[in-house]
Amino acid sequence: MQTGLARLLILAVVVGAAALSLSPNMTAQAPGGQAYTPPRTPTGQPDLQGVWRAWNLAKYDLEAHGARPGVPAGLGFVVDPADGKIPYQPAALKRRAENSAGTKDPDPWKNSDPLVKCYLPGVPRITYMGWPFQIIQAADVVTFNYEWSHKKRQVPVTAKVPPLPSPEDVLNWNGVPRGRFEGNTLVVDNTNFNGYAWFDMAGNFSSAALKVTERYTLVGPDTLQYEATMTDPKVFTRPWTIRMQLQRQKDVGILDYECTAMLDELGIHHTWPREFEPPEP
Amino acid sequence: MRTRGRFLLSMTALLFVAAALAMPVSGQGGAAAIAAARKGVPPAGPIPRRADGKPDLTGRWNGSGGVLHNTVILEEHPGGFGIQAGGTLIIDPKDGIIPYQPWALAERNRRREDANGYEDQVGHCEIYEIARLASFAFDIAHVSNGDVIIHHTQHITRVIDMNRKQHLPDGIRLWNGDPIGRWEGDTLVVDTTNLNAKGRMALGGDFYSADARLLERFTMKNSNTIDWTLTVTDPKVFTRPWTMTSHEPMTRERNVQNFDGEDTCHEGNVDLVHLKNVYDQTHGKVPWPPVYPEGPQGRWGAGGTR
Repeated sequence: MQTGLARLLILAVVVGAAALSLSPNMTAQAPGGQAYTPPRTPTGQPDLQGVWRAWNLAKYDLEAHGARPGVPAGLGFVVDPADGKIPYQPAALKRRAENSAGTKDPDPWKNSDPLVKCYLPGVPRITYMGWPFQIIQAADVVTFNYEWSHKKRQVPVTAKVPPLPSPEDVLNWNGVPRGRFEGNTLVVDNTNFNGYAWFDMAGNFSSAALKVTERYTLVGPDTLQYEATMTDPKVFTRPWTIRMQLQRQKDVGILDYECTAMLDELGIHHTWPREFEPPEP
Repeated sequence: MRTRGRFLLSMTALLFVAAALAMPVSGQGGAAAIAAARKGVPPAGPIPRRADGKPDLTGRWNGSGGVLHNTVILEEHPGGFGIQAGGTLIIDPKDGIIPYQPWALAERNRRREDANGYEDQVGHCEIYEIARLASFAFDIAHVSNGDVIIHHTQHITRVIDMNRKQHLPDGIRLWNGDPIGRWEGDTLVVDTTNLNAKGRMALGGDFYSADARLLERFTMKNSNTIDWTLTVTDPKVFTRPWTMTSHEPMTRERNVQNFDGEDTCHEGNVDLVHLKNVYDQTHGKVPWPPVYPEGPQGRWGAGGTR
């Protein structure tokens, strides 16, 4: 009885809490990113520092979608291919439908969305879940400090980029990042994914063969354009790209959101057996 | 006697847990590793300074001395059951004893009981409290707006706001509070409030309330040394403010960065389940099932940081 209530609560906390962040800013479309000249850091990098947040519907579904319980209808974020649809191979499309169907169960163990278990969101999902993140730049590393479960990505941007670890050794939810600056844009290549993370709450997914190239470009003093190109020959027929604007958060810095602690406080299981080998797509 | 034995035993169990979780329990894994991490650091020179004349704290620091017991118990304690004997970290009051009010001392001792070990947040893979973080290596970076970033273990980041004067509204409570910094001469003073009191200061149960004020002082002595102290003011729990320090001064280490790790401590964590089952059984609660009856029977991994 307590468990039933707690499970409802956890669904509200883990999934529904994303819904608190809606604002009309989602319509702000900036042109290609070339018009604005960003300030520079002391070491000459375009200065992307600050707290950023996605105020949009991407967390629900990267594609255009109708309303579902608790989910507003909205446009998608896929800009390539031009039809706005993720170019799944036929078998993968079936798997996406199964994923989506499995998101309705309030029991974190049965729910198909890994985020409901407080597993790490993966890249690019962590960018647009609705929790803010802070970009901190040093000469050789760009740090992404995420409010969600105090996760962090440290992206080396030195000329001498460390060699990538073997997938035999390192498979991460958030992958392994390597960065560089191209003009005003921070480009981050991500590999070594574990193949379990999703892209949104609609069940969009990939395999461990995923490669993600992110592009962060300041298109105004308070607007950061975010692009991510996904390549995964096991799941998609071709690479595809999403684009959205992130807004600068000026009123408050990074607070905290300890996902597993909340499960624990609700009396919910927060560790599960799981396979660590990448799943078959 | 018996109490101490049980305490040490339970602490030992938790240490094994920590080891199993691959937590960097001693900062870098023992005195030898500490010495290795310091190898190649240029000899101490004058305090490096930033453009505004303030000390440049940039770099990697470690005041743990490679010993583990500082995350276990803050006061002087005997050795045994895998824990080294150690002196107190409390420098004020002079007797080295945390000045608990009587009820709070009883509560601290209750938290030390074997059966209550699961209450410790680190056993849950939750984040280390500030005093505890001082027993691990950390990286300091300065941001151009003056803010100071401290990259701690387990991906914990503290952003010390150097520009704000007022703390967050009372309703916002955070695991490691709201840190606001200021310079007093060559000392970085970090004033932390808005705590949620969910964390412990040590495995041994030391705690403060959510109304505590934590004052840290990072005083640079030379290019390789920072003196660190933490003063806890909390009239709800203590009879007077008290101050602790690290096992040894924060000492510069080589700037070795690992960009590729990911903290997944709570995934497939059998030790966490074991701790919780012990807790539940002792407290008349229903333990978690050993494995879920439905769904894929996945492998229980060791968890930990990969």
